[in-house]
Amino acid sequence: MDSRPDAGSSCTLDERRVDDISVVGVTGVVDMLTAPDLEKAIAQAAKSSPTAVVVDMTAVEFLASAGMGVLIAAQDELAPAVRFAVVAEGPATSRPLKLVGVTDVVDLYPTLDEALTALRS
Amino acid sequence: MADSGRRDSSTRFAHSSVLADAACAAQLRQEFSVWLKRYFAVDPTKASDVVLAVNEALANAAEFAYTAAAEPGAMSLRADYDCSASSLTVTVTDEGAWRITDPAKRSHTRGRGIPLMQALADHASFDSTATGTRVSLVWNHIAAALPAAN
Repeated sequence: MDSRPDAGSSCTLDERRVDDISVVGVTGVVDMLTAPDLEKAIAQAAKSSPTAVVVDMTAVEFLASAGMGVLIAAQDELAPAVRFAVVAEGPATSRPLKLVGVTDVVDLYPTLDEALTALRS
Repeated sequence: MADSGRRDSSTRFAHSSVLADAACAAQLRQEFSVWLKRYFAVDPTKASDVVLAVNEALANAAEFAYTAAAEPGAMSLRADYDCSASSLTVTVTDEGAWRITDPAKRSHTRGRGIPLMQALADHASFDSTATGTRVSLVWNHIAAALPAAN
């Protein structure tokens, strides 16, 4: 699923299963225009009753507070029945997530491998 | 999108009377990002910080300024570079009525725009009146890009 080829707000979402974990892959821009699509993708990923949902934002180049709100809401709604984690690294994603304390609420990993390892333990 | 004020230079970015909606906010953010990277020597972290903070100010104007009105109003984005101080001041203004909510009452999933702006900018000020809001963001150590050799 992808959305919005508008000026600067293009976000591509995909979902795949790694054993019993659903991984939502996100590419591009997560802002007030595209955050609702991320929210829907996370809800969709949770429908198949995975043990965990991981939002992989390795390929996200811009993350606005609207996107951060979606991550926190997902954590609230899914946990503890379904574990939730985010993968992100770099100035556009992990840095602001840490700066405003989103990482106090949501588990953040720099790589997908580390997230999957942690969720399997 | 109405864009009646557009005068960009190496020390000024001025886009006024832009429709205060989400699509225009995204477009303006993109144009500002291009201007920033063209005229200034900023590392990737600084560039990210500045563009994100500016986005948050635009997003607030688009989301909150005109909720009580029948349709979106206008917002403006202006950036001025002070060469002698190496400082960049970005101002986002709207003529709407959004208010700064009490952080203690803010929804847990929302409301990170202002804390983000405060964390990302060297100085952030919010001036809200009955006739509109002005967000002012300042970065103090921004180097101008060296002119390209011809």
